Amino acid sequence: MTPTPAPSARTWRFLPAASTYIALSIAAFVSLFPFVWMLISATNTSIDIIKGKTSFGDAFSTNVTNFFTLVDVPLVFWNSAKVAILTTLLTIAVSSLAGYGFEMFRSKMRDHIYSLVLLTLMVPFAALMIPLFMMMGRAGLINTHVAILLPTIASAFIIFYFRQSTKAFPTELRDAAKVDGLKEWQIFLYIYVPVMRSTFAAAFVIVFMTSWNNYLWPLIVLQSNETKTITLVVSSLASAYYPDFGVVMIGTILATLPTLLVFFIMQRQFVAGMLGSVK
Amino acid sequence: MYHRTILSRFAAAAFAGASLFASTAAFAGEVTIWCWDPNFNVAIMKEAGARYTAKHPETTFNIVDFAKADVEQKLQTALSSGTTDALPDIVLIEDYGAQKYLQSFPGAFAELSGTVDYSGFAPYKVQLMTVDGKVYGMPFDSGVTGFYYRKDYLEQAGFKPADVQDITWDRFIEIGKQVEEKTGKKMMGLDITDAGFTRILMQSAGQWYFDADGNLNIENNTALKAALETQQKILQAGVYKPSSGWTEWVGSFTSGDVATVTTGVWITGTVKAQADQAGKWGVAPIPSLGIEGAGHASNLGGSSWYVLESSAEKADAIAFLNETYAKDIDFYQKILTERGAVGSLMAARTGDAYMKADDFFGGEKVWQNFSDWLSKVPPVNYGIFTNEVDTAVTAHLPSLAQGAKVDEVLKEIQSQAEGQIQ
Repeated sequence: MTPTPAPSARTWRFLPAASTYIALSIAAFVSLFPFVWMLISATNTSIDIIKGKTSFGDAFSTNVTNFFTLVDVPLVFWNSAKVAILTTLLTIAVSSLAGYGFEMFRSKMRDHIYSLVLLTLMVPFAALMIPLFMMMGRAGLINTHVAILLPTIASAFIIFYFRQSTKAFPTELRDAAKVDGLKEWQIFLYIYVPVMRSTFAAAFVIVFMTSWNNYLWPLIVLQSNETKTITLVVSSLASAYYPDFGVVMIGTILATLPTLLVFFIMQRQFVAGMLGSVK
Repeated sequence: MYHRTILSRFAAAAFAGASLFASTAAFAGEVTIWCWDPNFNVAIMKEAGARYTAKHPETTFNIVDFAKADVEQKLQTALSSGTTDALPDIVLIEDYGAQKYLQSFPGAFAELSGTVDYSGFAPYKVQLMTVDGKVYGMPFDSGVTGFYYRKDYLEQAGFKPADVQDITWDRFIEIGKQVEEKTGKKMMGLDITDAGFTRILMQSAGQWYFDADGNLNIENNTALKAALETQQKILQAGVYKPSSGWTEWVGSFTSGDVATVTTGVWITGTVKAQADQAGKWGVAPIPSLGIEGAGHASNLGGSSWYVLESSAEKADAIAFLNETYAKDIDFYQKILTERGAVGSLMAARTGDAYMKADDFFGGEKVWQNFSDWLSKVPPVNYGIFTNEVDTAVTAHLPSLAQGAKVDEVLKEIQSQAEGQIQ
């Protein structure tokens, strides 16, 4: 006979775990439900979706066909991918250098300039929109993807993120490299980048997602069907007098996939990078 | 092979960046148009453009499709910043917002009076685009209202179609009580988070949130007062099915839960989409508020086309709108049949599609009726701040349900509206 622990002791051990699981299950349900509902709705007709049908239907292929008829899918994805990838690469190139510079080089003005950079985080985009639009208009960049890229590549948040992470970068490595005769750009490229790769990965995920989902500024700047990104297309589908929600759901799924892919591929590095920045 | 193309395209863009700088400049003779709804406005404008290009091959059209809020945001930004080369040649503006754009940006839109013969359009559509006697737009779709009713439910309760012609809202409530008693169905779906129904009732008596001079008109607005009182009576009599939000409201009649719908003509397509309800519906003029100046015609929603003064293709754009929307009767038949769009050109009623009897409505000539009511919609001044005042009204609708005095509610709406628009 194995002795059974007293019920009170077992309950006492079991309760915290149970409540944790219950709380986590509720949180998981709340965050997963929209995705599940999106998947289910993509297979239903608009009328069934409005009625609140929660089981899979047979309208998936009709919805897909309608979406591909209404939207020039390859062009829209090409536009979104072009903007998101270029924004990400350029933002990381510029902002990682800035973050590295702010941490590595000491000068009297350093923290004043850094405060100014951080101050820009506090200005809401809506306040910058009209002056920015006038600038782009004068430069003849309205309706180009460059107009979306330019204002975002010097990102105060990513500069901040790189500077914080750089605090964990061992300065001995830089000193040793200097003794070995490496120039500053070589130190950055051959030592800093490989050492900080999880930081770069996390920055990649953050910038890619923000850029892919960017809505307001592309909306203001882009003027023609040929330059539109996926967020604008989904917005337009959803604002019809009688939106075909099945088609909207197909658009939403397609618009979500790339960010999910990027996140899942880089998940491990992303988590490592986020932890690293806290050190 | 395929991968190589993708790669080389990517390389070209990423390294040279050349394609990024290629802005798609408008070609001479190409009219650019911004509007919303791919299956409605966009499709209708494509049809109009194709008709015009067939006769005038030198003019082509580039119709750009944005969400309605997006069109407004872009228009506002471009006009505020004075960056006129970022504007299209023609833009669609919702009627409730027309005065706001016309008065906030004087000189931004081309005056069309003198070119377009406005006497052929429903007067209320012309009024809403007039500033200081000058008319600026091309009237497009109308939201003329109708009273859609289930003949089968009314019959079970002992009413004939003649019994709901030209009634008052008080009579509507009496009928509603009997309908519920006999059929268990509510008389209407009512969404008290939306002031659309309030606007229908108010305009049916020829008044609006603003008077003819554009001054706020709430506390002494007899039509608004009657509209709120009527809603309170409906709420208290309990002859409605509460719904929150648009989709639930639409569901109240598509599911057969309510006996009547009072809204803009654009709902016809949704009503008719329920094929199993064919022959069970009729359309009558909407009930009247029964006060001085009250009638049976009103409007909900609708929008119109405007030409930008700065447009390089201004002359072409105006000629195009004038030839299609102000003259082409056949065009109006086609958009009614294919898209369910009711325009504002009165002469359109002489065409085949408008003359046709509709089997879904038991063989009634519904489009002739709507056309009659269209000419009777009272012209009002939508003013600059309709949307702002509407927010104030919506915020106070729930207090009606709780039995607040209408005069008190009007006072509160007045003070909230004053705070919002100053």
